[in-house]
Amino acid sequence: MNDLTIIITLIAIGYIAGTWAEKRHYRSIEKREREFLDLPAITIKNVDIDDAKVKNAEIVYGGAVISVDYFKRILAGLRNIFGGSVKSYESLIDRARREALLRMKTMAPDATMIINVRIETSTIGRKSHKKSVACLEAFAYGTAIYLKG
Amino acid sequence: MKYTARMPETNVNVTPTSPLREFFVLLSGVIAIIVGIYLLLGLALNIIVPRIPMTFERKLAGPFINSMASVDRSSEKAQTAQKLLDVIQKRYAKLPYTFTVYLQESPRINAVALPGGNIVVFSGLLEKIESENELAFILAHEMGHYVNRDHLKGVGRALVFIMISAMLLGPDSSAGNLLAQSLNVTEMAFSRNQETLADEFALNALHGTYGHVGGSADFFIKLSKEANTGLWGHYFSTHPENLKRIAHLKNYSRIHGFAEKLLRNIPAIINKKRPA
Repeated sequence: MNDLTIIITLIAIGYIAGTWAEKRHYRSIEKREREFLDLPAITIKNVDIDDAKVKNAEIVYGGAVISVDYFKRILAGLRNIFGGSVKSYESLIDRARREALLRMKTMAPDATMIINVRIETSTIGRKSHKKSVACLEAFAYGTAIYLKG
Repeated sequence: MKYTARMPETNVNVTPTSPLREFFVLLSGVIAIIVGIYLLLGLALNIIVPRIPMTFERKLAGPFINSMASVDRSSEKAQTAQKLLDVIQKRYAKLPYTFTVYLQESPRINAVALPGGNIVVFSGLLEKIESENELAFILAHEMGHYVNRDHLKGVGRALVFIMISAMLLGPDSSAGNLLAQSLNVTEMAFSRNQETLADEFALNALHGTYGHVGGSADFFIKLSKEANTGLWGHYFSTHPENLKRIAHLKNYSRIHGFAEKLLRNIPAIINKKRPA
């Protein structure tokens, strides 16, 4: 009985706290995305700009680590039995990537644009035995270009 | 090409969904699968169990019954019940089992049929007994379970359940125990029918042994008078409601022309309470 109470409590905490944190995070992401709307972050490697016009070019990067909550983990575990898209993890990956991009942009608020942007994803904090909660890390990097004048 | 900065209208990477709904749909799916496997294996048991040879069953049950420290076969009470059972076995039942009666000191008013012909009688039940015929009926009832091999089906289903629960939730999990309790409710429907069949066997055995069926319903009449559901709850729940049961016993006796005659006294040792 005790085990079950603990599990149910963890699921409830996971759901309530997880949903609250996610909503709050999305509000913050959208607010900052609007602020950085004028700083394009694009994936092309070469832009057709005269070298003389470029004042500076530097690497910028941003990383974000988002943890899975207990509710999402159980939900994904159940999903593992039946197959299908693991919807509960979609928002985690989305948040991590957008947060990483935003932090990358924060490194160069005055740049004209960031080119050659790449995003890497990895799991961290996962032990070899399977009953541990994993975190997701998204890492975004690119080249910030500053133009003269 | 002109670059126009704008926010995306929708987020294509996150499916708008209700996670709680998904959770309950998936959870009920898992529970349905577990219950399905359980029922399927239960059906398989009903096919396999009647084909298990008695000798094999006895061999399997040996170590198990010897490991039960609380049961006792050497006490005078157990010996008295054993003698009575031997009489029924010799005169009527003639089942391919070697029966052993064990006594367990416990206030529970019940008796159980364990694999290998091992019958455990609780002392709480013996204290309620008033005549030899009454005790004979209860022993014959347990023997009736061996005729239909209900005891193996019960043990088999419990094993299946423990296996599934240990596989999914790990051994010794309380979630598993909780599930076990809730599933016992479905078990009851199985066992009601089994109890009725065992009752019918016991009536025949009583008639075959004593030439009449006096005392067969006494025990249940007594129980229904002492309508204390708290204490008798267990007995009430796994055995058909007492009144229905008494009615069935009377009805069955009438149809088969079983008379009721004078009861035989029970040896005093049976009723004796354990010294406190």
